[in-house]
Amino acid sequence: MVGLGWGFVTAVSATAQGPVETVKNFSDFAQIDLSQLPGGDVLVARDALMNFPNGISGQTCFAVPQPAEDTAKRLQTWDPSLHSDLKVYAFRPLHVPCELTDFQQLDFGSGQYPVRWLLDKTLASSAAKSELNLTRDEVNELAACVQKRRDPQAVGRCWANLLFARASKFQQQGSVGVLPYQMNGETVSPAVQLHAILLEQARVAGEFAPFLKKIGLLGNEAATTSLAPFYYWTFFDADHHGTLSLGAVYLLAVGDHYQLADFEYYVSGNYYTSLTLYEVWPIQVGGKPGALVWRGDYFAAPTLAFTKGTERIAYGALMMQDIKREIRCFRDDLKARR
Amino acid sequence: MDILRKRLGMWTRLLGPLAAVLASCPAVLAANRMSVSQELDAEYSYVGGAATRGAGANIGDVDENSADVKYVISPQITKNLLLRFGAEWQRFSFGVPDHAPVPDTLQQASVALGFDYQLADQWLVRAEVQPGVYSDFRELRWDDVDAPLILGGAYLANDDLQWFLGLRVDARSQYPVLPAIGVRWKFKDEWTLNLQPPKPRLEYDVNDNLQFYFGVGLEAGTFRVGEHFGRNRGQPKLDNEVVDFTEVRIGPGCSWKIAPYLTVEAEVGYMPYRDFDFFDPTISFRSHNAPYGQITCHARF
Repeated sequence: MVGLGWGFVTAVSATAQGPVETVKNFSDFAQIDLSQLPGGDVLVARDALMNFPNGISGQTCFAVPQPAEDTAKRLQTWDPSLHSDLKVYAFRPLHVPCELTDFQQLDFGSGQYPVRWLLDKTLASSAAKSELNLTRDEVNELAACVQKRRDPQAVGRCWANLLFARASKFQQQGSVGVLPYQMNGETVSPAVQLHAILLEQARVAGEFAPFLKKIGLLGNEAATTSLAPFYYWTFFDADHHGTLSLGAVYLLAVGDHYQLADFEYYVSGNYYTSLTLYEVWPIQVGGKPGALVWRGDYFAAPTLAFTKGTERIAYGALMMQDIKREIRCFRDDLKARR
Repeated sequence: MDILRKRLGMWTRLLGPLAAVLASCPAVLAANRMSVSQELDAEYSYVGGAATRGAGANIGDVDENSADVKYVISPQITKNLLLRFGAEWQRFSFGVPDHAPVPDTLQQASVALGFDYQLADQWLVRAEVQPGVYSDFRELRWDDVDAPLILGGAYLANDDLQWFLGLRVDARSQYPVLPAIGVRWKFKDEWTLNLQPPKPRLEYDVNDNLQFYFGVGLEAGTFRVGEHFGRNRGQPKLDNEVVDFTEVRIGPGCSWKIAPYLTVEAEVGYMPYRDFDFFDPTISFRSHNAPYGQITCHARF
């Protein structure tokens, strides 16, 4: 057994020298012990202090026993709704160009508390007041739409129209087409929020700069990419609040490794936006092709401005717990080839 | 003088590292405006007249006014470490008849020094020492100075379940080491079993800003009474003695989040038990059964 163990570790270490050093250079991980990762460990680094009051971030690093290319492709299209403990009610891909029927499975009728919460907030939205992330025009349209019929099915259709319009615009114009939210007299742009967070992540932003510029998330230029992202909408429970979001996952091969960016360009509430970055490297795991995955999560949320001190440390620690849970589910799916 | 020098030496050794840490604060604070947090907690309560007996005497109905104000500022030194500096003033005033052997005032004026630290991915710990004056504030002497130590740990299992361990160390108390365990379990979307000492509660979220709860509150402290406290009340044994004060409150309340940084709570209920325990000599005075009302304000900024 001892001999087998040494052979395993050596095989991993010898071929993975490059990826480990690269990840250490741009990430918060000073040490990465590859011999621990294939056993299921997820390395975690909670965010450092951030000047941007609405921002929080965290980094993880893990290994999977699948080739890097397969892993990257699975990350791009992975459906978390198959795992009940992730509390994702629906996760659906969008056509290009997207169609209204892509949203037909949007269901407000489950009666679960978080779903009822979003239903109530939708019905309570008016031109004068809304707690949801919407433009003034969207609030008016949504209020007029739910005025006609207030049952869950009708509210679902109203949201489907709104999401369809936003997704269509994003597919046509990229991040430039993301409309800012107008909340309590303030204008909040998801792209600007993300930009502010990335400005404080110099090493990560440097590592991903060409990719992020290509997809229009860094720099002042419009997206110049020919990359075809995976578009999706999802409905999930965020801190006991039903939340709808629209996202796009970009994948780029960079030499022998892969970079991914999962950008939530619209979120209905609770937080403004998120970006998840991945770098996937080929390594040997137990003598077979595997992948070393670095993941960085960046969130912008209004409540963070008031979450300070120990509460913020706890908030960050719990966020990392959620991310680890998601990673374990992803690995389970890879193993089960779901 | 030797003792004084030794003590001074001890404080210099203790304060040396603290001074070094504080010296580094301006640089950390200048580099990061998010790195300072502040807490302000204020509470006022009134307990109606409660029948009080002890040492073979009937003291009569004793009512109570109490107030507590605590302010803490926490500079974040590293991503895992926060220091805590603060001050607290707490006062219990009892409406006792003249010459009754029950203190009419128990008061604390203290500072808070401590830290919060993320020990591991799921573990947070807190240590806080609260040196100050804990007495009836009649004849202030060095004997009135005490420094209880609070140690706490939180295990963050997930968003909905957290465990808490605590330890209160107070060398003057009859129970110098008091352990506590607690849990916060959000077992349904609207319901949370928040069993955190000293105020365990069952909470119901009406909406994001309003919460109803039913809970138990424990008010407690260890205080020294004056040099002439006992003889002025016909109980000379109680002169300069230490009293452990304990009061239990049970009742419903509501918590209103007025702003993201400000929460106000109001509660009414029943005080079933209050104890003034002069444990050496063993003399205690107990009060039972009175209504109470309480208002609390928590600000985080």
